[in-house]
Amino acid sequence: MAQTGSLLHFSDHQYLRQRLVLSILSGKAVRIDKIRSDDKNPGLRDYEVSLLRLLEKATNGTVIEISVTGTAILLKPGIIAGGSVSHDCPLSRSVGYFLEPLIMLAPFAKRPFQLSLRGITTDDNDLSADLVRTVTLPHLQLFGISDGLELRIKKRGSPPEGGGEVQFLCPVVKQVKTLNFVEPGKIKRIRGIAHAVRVNPQFSNRMIDASRSVLNRYIPDIYLYSDVYKGEESGKSPGYALSLLAESTTSAIQCSEAVSKPGVTPEEIALTATHTLLSEIRRGGCVDRKHQNLVLLMMVLGSEDVGRCRMCEPSARTIQFLRDIKSFFGTSFKIVPAEPSDPSSTQLLFSCYGTGYINVNRSLA
Amino acid sequence: MENHIHKAHRPAQSGSKAEKKGKGKQQQAFNEKAFAPKSGRRAERQGRRNVERDQTRLHVPLVNRTPDDEPPPVIVAIVGPPGVGKTTLLKSLVRRYAKQTLHEVKGPVTVISGKRRRLTFIECNNDLNSMIDIGKVADLVLLMIDGSYGFEMETFEFLNILQSHGFPKVIGVLSHLDLIKKQATLSATKKALKKRFWTEIYQGAKLFYLSGVLNGRYPDTEILNLSRFISVMKFRPLVFRNSHPYLLADRLEDLTPREIIRASKGKCDRTVTLYGYLRGTNLRLSTKVHVPGVGDMDIKSITILGDPCPLPDADAEKRRKLSEKKKLLVHAPMSDVGGVVYDKDAVWVNVPGSFTRGNTDVYQGEGEQMVMDLQDVDATLEDTVARRQIRLLGSSSNHLTVDAPGILSGDEDEDQGSGMDDDGVGDEAESEEGGEEDNLSEDGDESPNDDLPGITDRGRFGLRMVSRPTHNLASTSEHKGGRVEYADSDSDIGHLDQDDWEGGVMYPDGDNAQDIPSDDEESDGAPAWKAGLAAKAEASFENSSRRRSRKDWISLIYSSALTPEQIAQGDSNASHEISSDDADDDFFRIRPATLVNGDDLDMTKELVSPDSLKEWEDEALLDSIRALFITGEQAAPEKDTAEENEYEDSAGGDFEDLEAEPSQPPAVEDPEAKRTADLAAKKELLKRKFDEQYDDPEDAKIDFYDEKKEEINRQLQLNRAEFEGIHAEARALVEGYRPGSYVRIELSNVPCEMIENFDPSYPIILGGLLPAEERFGYIQVRIKRHRWFAKTLKTNDPLIFSLGWRRFQSVPIYSLDDHSIRMRMLKYTPEHMHCYATFYGPVALPNSGFCAFNSLNGETTAFRVSATGVVLDIDRSAKIVKKIKLTGVPFKIYKNTAFIKDMFNSALEVAKFEGANVKTVSGIRGQVKKALTKPDGAFRATFEDKVLMSDIIFLRAWYSIQPRKYYNPVTSLLLSDKAHWAGMRLTGQVRREEGLKTPLNVNSHYRPVERSARRFNTLKVPKKLQAALPYASKPKLMKPQGRRTYIQKRAVVLEPEEKKAIALLQQIRALRKDQLARRKEKQHERKEVHRKKVEKEEANKDEKEKEKRKDYMRAAGMKSKREADLEEGRSRKKRRT
Repeated sequence: MAQTGSLLHFSDHQYLRQRLVLSILSGKAVRIDKIRSDDKNPGLRDYEVSLLRLLEKATNGTVIEISVTGTAILLKPGIIAGGSVSHDCPLSRSVGYFLEPLIMLAPFAKRPFQLSLRGITTDDNDLSADLVRTVTLPHLQLFGISDGLELRIKKRGSPPEGGGEVQFLCPVVKQVKTLNFVEPGKIKRIRGIAHAVRVNPQFSNRMIDASRSVLNRYIPDIYLYSDVYKGEESGKSPGYALSLLAESTTSAIQCSEAVSKPGVTPEEIALTATHTLLSEIRRGGCVDRKHQNLVLLMMVLGSEDVGRCRMCEPSARTIQFLRDIKSFFGTSFKIVPAEPSDPSSTQLLFSCYGTGYINVNRSLA
Repeated sequence: MENHIHKAHRPAQSGSKAEKKGKGKQQQAFNEKAFAPKSGRRAERQGRRNVERDQTRLHVPLVNRTPDDEPPPVIVAIVGPPGVGKTTLLKSLVRRYAKQTLHEVKGPVTVISGKRRRLTFIECNNDLNSMIDIGKVADLVLLMIDGSYGFEMETFEFLNILQSHGFPKVIGVLSHLDLIKKQATLSATKKALKKRFWTEIYQGAKLFYLSGVLNGRYPDTEILNLSRFISVMKFRPLVFRNSHPYLLADRLEDLTPREIIRASKGKCDRTVTLYGYLRGTNLRLSTKVHVPGVGDMDIKSITILGDPCPLPDADAEKRRKLSEKKKLLVHAPMSDVGGVVYDKDAVWVNVPGSFTRGNTDVYQGEGEQMVMDLQDVDATLEDTVARRQIRLLGSSSNHLTVDAPGILSGDEDEDQGSGMDDDGVGDEAESEEGGEEDNLSEDGDESPNDDLPGITDRGRFGLRMVSRPTHNLASTSEHKGGRVEYADSDSDIGHLDQDDWEGGVMYPDGDNAQDIPSDDEESDGAPAWKAGLAAKAEASFENSSRRRSRKDWISLIYSSALTPEQIAQGDSNASHEISSDDADDDFFRIRPATLVNGDDLDMTKELVSPDSLKEWEDEALLDSIRALFITGEQAAPEKDTAEENEYEDSAGGDFEDLEAEPSQPPAVEDPEAKRTADLAAKKELLKRKFDEQYDDPEDAKIDFYDEKKEEINRQLQLNRAEFEGIHAEARALVEGYRPGSYVRIELSNVPCEMIENFDPSYPIILGGLLPAEERFGYIQVRIKRHRWFAKTLKTNDPLIFSLGWRRFQSVPIYSLDDHSIRMRMLKYTPEHMHCYATFYGPVALPNSGFCAFNSLNGETTAFRVSATGVVLDIDRSAKIVKKIKLTGVPFKIYKNTAFIKDMFNSALEVAKFEGANVKTVSGIRGQVKKALTKPDGAFRATFEDKVLMSDIIFLRAWYSIQPRKYYNPVTSLLLSDKAHWAGMRLTGQVRREEGLKTPLNVNSHYRPVERSARRFNTLKVPKKLQAALPYASKPKLMKPQGRRTYIQKRAVVLEPEEKKAIALLQQIRALRKDQLARRKEKQHERKEVHRKKVEKEEANKDEKEKEKRKDYMRAAGMKSKREADLEEGRSRKKRRT
């Protein structure tokens, strides 16, 4: 099917995921070359190939061509099929790496997604399954994607052996609502999940205590759960982590997470997580820094109205994402300081005019 | 006079009047019983009815994307069969609104109809393609019907087209009613036509009656009534148009260079501009457009032009009546309004009578004025510019010099092409120059051996500006404080002589101010204009330093070449002193190639450095964010003032620095005022809460419908407010070109036939496509053959679809859902039933309606809309199957096992079907087991019972089929004869035209079936077995009875009485027979007479029928003659003018 007239060119292996996602959503074919061409070990990594496989499973009619050296790919997107898809993730990246692009695609599929991914559920690089469940999904709910949206953590799996399993359920929408979120509010509650698998269960309690020692001064509404998975459900490797989230009066969420490292005490892990959370809170904004991309994407895909969102300063990923959105959808954002009268605030107000993206894949039959 | 007392009225005290009055009063009084429900049940029913009535009023709230201020003109299409009076109606309506008579109407005509409304009239010709296109864009249809003739097929076809593409408002107009002479016939005709019209549209649809034609127009009063109806008409947004931008072109120009056309003998692709009002949603530059009848195209550029037919402005609004001058405005570039006709490559000025220059008492139209102005010019443009002192900016001290002619031509081009106000161009030029200048001067200072020695030469600015005219379009601009700044508009020229200039300037990153002084220090031989710069910049640095920490994110992200990492990094050290390496990362720098690391992972979490978290061990810092929690709220004001200074010096880094300056002034100056303000705010909140709780809870509660409407309104208001006041071009980049604006759209690579065969009577529409609609796929639709279409539709016969903006031919496969298990192919569409169809074509949104045609030609008299339906699903593969039955015969039979042959050809095929169900004709079920080695393709199968050698074994299977990938857009606008587009023909048509015979498969022949009676051998039970069987099971063989029976043995002899009785009976029977025969004969005679009578009557009736038909044909003939006359009259008229 050579009807996709427009072909976009990119180079470099960075930001591969977001470009693939935007390509599939916009229907524009994309060619990415010079993938680690200067590297000692050139070409796509195993997890990138695995992601491409997953995208091929989740779509219908997608054509992916990888060059012989693996340094260039061509993606001609098909339609997002959805349905039940299961995928074994390689152990080099956690489940979050694969889940993130799929979350962006899932609401626009033909059938509701039932995606089950096996591999590492928590690691240092990507959003852990806990964060996806407690932070990412509430961010999707801002756009009217809520009924039947769920992430089940069947088994936990820590690096290096993994062995975890998550199941992601996502409904299908016709069109996402636009966002108008400019009031960050004040933090009203803090929640956290401390989990420890294949180590002393006391570790999670130690993490909770350490974290509370810092957080207790702010608000009383703090619940840090100790999540215990035993036996089969606890994966193949030992590990523990603490993920924290702070919710404001307007239900703006900030989050942080720290994962066990060899030679570091649980208390130190907990303090890292807590301090990261505090710096996130200080940065402020209506959405979490790690979820800027998701929110901006949904704003662009929203109805043909003005969407506004207050955020902290964009990260490098977000900046590239904004540029990519411009090349895929032709939409640019208006970015102004959120409080022009107050020069101290670094928060920005992102506003854009939605493209009125309608889920064409959704069938009526 | 005033104090004169009138005689009081004395009502009648008696008599009939007095009685009546009393009664009347009693009747008028409110009778509670009459309105109160009689019973509880009745009360309930009444209440329910009221609620239901309220509900029927409601409709789904829809967002109206058309702006309320400055809406685009309403498209009023005049549709009807030829000769019905469409042009006359259009002329009459234009005359009513614009007080002008159009001689020849071509293309759309826009007039102003009121303070808030403009109308675009367009006449639709009788071509089906035009009707389809018009049906997709018209807001209001004036459906003209010949009253003396009745409805014609085209009218019904048009209504069906409307129905499948969202129904716009329709007003019926009956014309030619003056031809019906008899009053009774007239009223009967009106009644009949109205009834039919109502069943087509809805009960109570508006139908207008136009009587005769006076002075080439319809009577003024009738037109006035019609125009009143048009002007108050409200429109509900249609879903399709509310999600697509579109434009009805009222002007078309070919911009292709003449030389290229000449060189290619007119066959090259053209660059074409279309002009018109945007409608629907916002049109973005990146959207692809479809021109129905031509094809998909990319927009090359869009320019907003001045409104050629503007709504009356506020000043006219103050006056109650529209001024006559405004009323006279009519915009119809394709027609001859104002004596000016815009042709393809010329403008014709029509001069009435004899014309002399300087004769002022004759009214001079637009065209005459234009020509005279041109004649008045005594100097060339270059001279004029040289003489005038044009300044680029209002503030610049020196005027432009003309040593580079490029500047003039460039400017001229801009002005002519875009028609933009000079302001916009000036702005662009300024910013362009500024950016360039800035950049170059820096380059020049740091590397003196740059290849551009003449950077300070002012004559070159113009040249550069021309060389990159599109650069600025791509850059977004930032709005602040009521004026526009472009990203790189930190113009040094502006600083030159205006001190308050930088008040509005925003630096993209604060290094400019820093740079300039440093330049100055090492400046060697800087030009004179730079001399005062340093001092100015120094002063402005103080002003702008406060703003340094804030970056212009838009330009950083969208129009700088910095890598995201650099931008993101920049925000962490924004407050630091600008280091030297930061200064040199200017816009045009080669990207560092060695940024990419091997382990540079694409990861969501950011690496947190333990050092950055160390600061959180500080108690003061921990306390500083207390205000961000709900519990910290009360303590915040005091704490802020008290503790701020405390931690200011202790904590280093960016955060603190940002915090320092700004928060101090308010904190120091009025803690008291702030407290009172807080208190007031809190009181207000409490009051509102109280009000909500105790004041009228019903009032505060609004129902779902109102809530939704309010939500929509709020969002619309926000949409308006968010980008208000930004410069139009910049705004267009962010949100697209808004509906209601008059634009010029440039398309490149347009087929030359569109220009060469351009005919203004065929509408040109530019429909914007959603990103999804550019793609192709298999479209599954629910379809129903139109009940007026004579033939059934056959799978794989080409069909012309009108779907979305497009008209195209494709090859559908019809199917039906078979028990929700499979989609089963149908050879033909079912009668009176929906079925599915799947075809290959451009994607359309699910739920959009379509109609289909077998042919678009006007020759057929039959109904042409062959099917209608709705899109259900889009996919890249189709899942349609058709049934296939494999047959085989047994060649060896064991008990319940049989060996079957002739079903497959190889063991491999058998392996594929192992476990499949098979069945005999007699209904014995079985299963395929395993392939046999010996005859190739034979297999073993087991059955539930023993099969016979004579049985045929069936295997029912499903074969999946894909629709053919055939898509053929209807390119009717490219033809010289636009009504005769021919697509792929049907197979039958091809065979007929080529004189080919249908190939016949021998096996498909129907031959008489010979069924020989089956003979079964007699069942023989062995004697031994018989003996062993119980009696009930023993075969009982009966022999025929040999002996005669009792009755047979007896002889019968009659008695004499009996003989007599029998004879008598015989005689009576004979008499009766004779009687019946006679009666029958009589009846026959009577019947003969009756038949003759009936025959006579029949003959009479036929005669009458013939007479009637003759009358009808005479009327039709007269009509066609009148039409021909009208045509002739038109051409005669044309010749005369």
